[in-house]
Amino acid sequence: MNELSNSSTSGGSVFTEPPPAVTAEKLSKRYGSVRACDEVDIELFRGEIHGILGENGAGKSTLMKMLIGLVLPDGGSILLDGKPVTIRDPLDASELGIGMVHQHFSLVEALTVWENVALGDNSKLDRNKIRNRVTELSKQYGLDVNPDDRVEDLPVGMRQRVELIKCLCRDPSVLILDEPTSVLTPEESEQLFASLRRVVEEEDRAVALVSHRLSEILQATDRITIMRHGAVIERCLTKDTDANSLAREMVGRDVDMGSTSEVKVKNESFEDADISLEDARRDKKDFVLELKDIVTSSSSGVRELDGFNLGIETGEIFGLAGVEGNGQSALVEVLSGLRTVSSGSVFLKREKISSNNFGRLANKGVAVIPEDRHDSGVVLDMSVADNLLFSNLEEGYRYGLLNKARKDKRAKELIEKFEIICAGPDAPMWSLSGGNQQRVVLARETSDKPLILVASQPTRGLDVGAIEYMTGQLRDLAKSGVGVLLISSELDEILSLSDRVGVIFRGKLAALMDRENADRESLGLLMGRGEV
Amino acid sequence: MSSLVSSKSSVKRRGEIVLLYAFSALGALLLSALIVEAVGANWSDVWNALLDGSLRKPGRWGRTLGSAVPMAMVAVGTIISSKVGLINIGQEGQMLVGAAFGAYVGAHMPGPGPLVIVAVIIGGFIGGAFWSGLAGALRYWRNVPEVLTTLLLVTIAANFVGYGLKNTWLLLDPDAAVGNRTQVSPQLPPDSRLPRIDLFGNNFSLSVIISLMLIILISWMLSQTIVGFRLSVVGQNQKVGKRFGISEVKQGFMAMCASGGFAGLAGSLMLTSGDFAKFRLVPGFTVNLGWTGLLVALVAREKVMAVIPVALVFAGLRTGSSFLAATGVERRVTDVVQGLLVLALLIPPAVLFIRDRRRALAQVESRT
Amino acid sequence: MGFLEAIWDVMSTESAYTAATRFAAVLVFAAVGEWVAERSGTLNISVEAMVLSGAFAGAMGYSWTKNAVVGILLGMLAGLIVSFVQAQMSHRLTADQFVVGLTLNILFLGITSFLYAEWKPSSRVASKFAIPVLSKIPLVGKALFGQSWPFLLLYLLVPFAWWLVYRTRWGLEVRAVGENPQAADVSGIDVNKRRRESIYFAGLCSGMGGAYLLLGQVGRFDDGIVAGRGFIALVAVIFGGWTLRGTIFGCLLFGSVLSFRLTLPGLGYELNTELMSSLPFLVTIVAMTVFAHRVRPPGSLARPFVRGLK
Repeated sequence: MNELSNSSTSGGSVFTEPPPAVTAEKLSKRYGSVRACDEVDIELFRGEIHGILGENGAGKSTLMKMLIGLVLPDGGSILLDGKPVTIRDPLDASELGIGMVHQHFSLVEALTVWENVALGDNSKLDRNKIRNRVTELSKQYGLDVNPDDRVEDLPVGMRQRVELIKCLCRDPSVLILDEPTSVLTPEESEQLFASLRRVVEEEDRAVALVSHRLSEILQATDRITIMRHGAVIERCLTKDTDANSLAREMVGRDVDMGSTSEVKVKNESFEDADISLEDARRDKKDFVLELKDIVTSSSSGVRELDGFNLGIETGEIFGLAGVEGNGQSALVEVLSGLRTVSSGSVFLKREKISSNNFGRLANKGVAVIPEDRHDSGVVLDMSVADNLLFSNLEEGYRYGLLNKARKDKRAKELIEKFEIICAGPDAPMWSLSGGNQQRVVLARETSDKPLILVASQPTRGLDVGAIEYMTGQLRDLAKSGVGVLLISSELDEILSLSDRVGVIFRGKLAALMDRENADRESLGLLMGRGEV
Repeated sequence: MSSLVSSKSSVKRRGEIVLLYAFSALGALLLSALIVEAVGANWSDVWNALLDGSLRKPGRWGRTLGSAVPMAMVAVGTIISSKVGLINIGQEGQMLVGAAFGAYVGAHMPGPGPLVIVAVIIGGFIGGAFWSGLAGALRYWRNVPEVLTTLLLVTIAANFVGYGLKNTWLLLDPDAAVGNRTQVSPQLPPDSRLPRIDLFGNNFSLSVIISLMLIILISWMLSQTIVGFRLSVVGQNQKVGKRFGISEVKQGFMAMCASGGFAGLAGSLMLTSGDFAKFRLVPGFTVNLGWTGLLVALVAREKVMAVIPVALVFAGLRTGSSFLAATGVERRVTDVVQGLLVLALLIPPAVLFIRDRRRALAQVESRT
Repeated sequence: MGFLEAIWDVMSTESAYTAATRFAAVLVFAAVGEWVAERSGTLNISVEAMVLSGAFAGAMGYSWTKNAVVGILLGMLAGLIVSFVQAQMSHRLTADQFVVGLTLNILFLGITSFLYAEWKPSSRVASKFAIPVLSKIPLVGKALFGQSWPFLLLYLLVPFAWWLVYRTRWGLEVRAVGENPQAADVSGIDVNKRRRESIYFAGLCSGMGGAYLLLGQVGRFDDGIVAGRGFIALVAVIFGGWTLRGTIFGCLLFGSVLSFRLTLPGLGYELNTELMSSLPFLVTIVAMTVFAHRVRPPGSLARPFVRGLK
């Protein structure tokens, strides 16, 4: 533990502190002409949770990938306990004691928990030994994981824990967590942080927590490193800073955090379980979109939406808060026409739309910005002009024949109007940055005068500039009379944009209120357990 | 519709591609030469025989053209189903069923010659479309992978047609003199055969012109009409397509049927052109041309117009090989040459793909 | 009905069982190998070429040394060579595995015919080896334990394959790679390497099967010797739902059906040869259709893996 090494990169006394578990010195990575990481120095000490904060594109993911061996650095070095090491692949990193708790991609669903934990290790396959270790760790950290369960049967929060155990099984000296709480309820996040605290203090390990969420960093970490554009711009201790200073450092200027701080907070008790449509109708205003008792089931029979009711008025922004996995995806799919409902109805301006008739909703003016644009928003291998054309194929294909001039004209107009940065209408979609791809989606969806816009996690993966642009667009759209359904797991976003707020929990609308009556704590509780 | 590099470097890139292909092809030929010499035969004899048989000797390039027709049609169909992301490897069976349908129509349909010809050809398309449609239906109704069903249906087709050729009420020629000895369908009467063209001393069937026109038509359709657009969308991102009313099931099923349809068309063109079994359907009629057509499609890499040169090369190998007997070299050596050539031709696109993907990833990652 | 009578007659004749297991044996050799390969996510149509090359090499080996063991080893080597080309092209150079598979079938058909015409190996069937007590079991004894000795290799191969896939780390990684290559990759497993290795295993098994076909059954090489058995083995894997038990059952089933072509006429029954020949394929399609939701292929079957590509 207290290693007295004789390496001393900073000069001065050798015996002050043990060397950090991991030191990165001038670590760099370039992709073509872009510097993803520019001579980054960072030190991860044992006994500490080190937060790495930055917007997307700041380089924090790339930095972690270099530490874990998924990416090879172009320059600089990595030191473990003061000694230089080379990390060529995840196996090396694992042997050196660096482990990463992955977000989605490291579990094989068809295999059991213990088999998954065994993957990526090099030793002989000893079934009982591994199973016992899993049970042991599970008890030790209060994680409640059963080694013989099949991963495909486990809910998301549980899978996260399996990832954690998989990492801990290797007995790493350093744990890296990349955006771990996006799929957890506030309660589960608390549990995770508590486990991490134990890991760090009782076992003297180091933890690096990568995130873009200020509140999380402030809550869980001891030390913070802020990155921007691939470089470290600030280091501080968590106790010495606050949300505003952090935000300022992240973007380099004062950020409009929305009206969170100025809103009156009221403590009221809310109804729990589901809200009926009649209750949802506050006054006699006409709803542009109505969802009545929607029930959908997944292929395995699980009910994702369980009698969901909602009404969106013209010109309002309705913020639907909730932790991911409570039915939001199913809701968006229903409104995109990608999913049929088992029961219930969708009304657009009082006209019932059958969910079997996909394409109809889009046709009739339901615009959607999906949460994963690569999955259902854009076609990466097609051009910008093609992607802009979908909502109105007639513009490019009169009588079925391609009219390139018209297609390009439409594309150019939209590129200009929405300030999309790209090489031109024929540029392939994959060559655009995340923010610009989002603009293409926005342009396409809003350019044909929609009645309603469903925006699902619209600012995810965007840098602050792009976030500001998107929120501004949403406000403008609402002002022009479009009904906006904002679905987000970021409470700040919900609170700063919405006129009315609702909470989705286990497939039902668990709460409904005007913006003045909403506050973080209560919403958090509602999101977490459906009641205050 | 999309290009992976800017136009400035496309000239350089095209040059690269040509060089890579030429290099690989040469490598394949070299290896073939080595194998031939190692066994004691003479490569230059072989090479000359191949060239004589495919091009040089009088009348040969006409035969090469005729041989290229079914390969090209099968390839076109395969490209259509590839565009929506379906894997069809049952062309051999679809061709046979198409030829069978055509033979049935030809044997049982009364009427003026030209009408029968058209009916036979269309019958071929329908037969092939039906056969691949079965696989398509199973895929979209029960999610059975079409790569497996199309493959399984090949043997079933062979048996199905074999049975048909044993029964006069189906396909067998009732003519006693013929029927007792062999399993053949009735020979198409002279006015039900495709006319032939004489050009520069070469004689080939109208099927060449028909297939050429179809290639141009399909190429145009896929790139300049909404049909091609819809197919591409389904092939690349079904969800986006579905959102805007483009049905994966409808487009996919239609593409699957079209794919088999073209293979069936190839079969009926083979029948009516007379280039293969003298206007009769026989067991083993398709002589592996279905597999070769699939290879053509995959070497042509989804560009319909590229089917033309590739099919000609493969056809040349085929017609050239019939001249090998004179050299004393075992005829099968063309299979070796063809096999090596295909493998060699697979290398350049693979190399390019890996390189392009690395570049693309680097670009994308840099923006994350 | 005459059909039921036929079945009864068949099932009570010892020679029917012998014929069935003989036919099935080659299938099992090839299918076990392909089963492992498909669990890793690959689909190798070139099994046909592997078996054929194994048969040819077996003949050559015997012709040179008059020793059946050498023949079998050479057969395995030949299968390995074919699988090497397949694996390198489709899982290192990212060429389309179906094209490669098809091409290899044509290529090696050409090579073996060509070389056979030039070299003309002479070979014969290896000696029988009847296990003392077991081969006396009525009806099935001779079929299972009284065949030529290479048949007995199956009793080693099958348990070995099971152990390999379910009890070793290699097998765990192969299964992971077949279900979710992205996850396996992130866990530090070289996806394409495991796939190549599983294809090599298929090559060894299929080559062994081809050598068995030649040295344990037929005796003389002919380019029609394999006649689609490789395909049928592949189909058996699918029919068996990608489990080892199912695969072997499929091989036995198909082997029986296809051997009926020989046994039934011998018992005085006429049959529709085309129907019999198509039966394995028809049955597989029906099985896949009916059991579509219960049986699942490995998650990434026949889908190539390139890091960064979904």
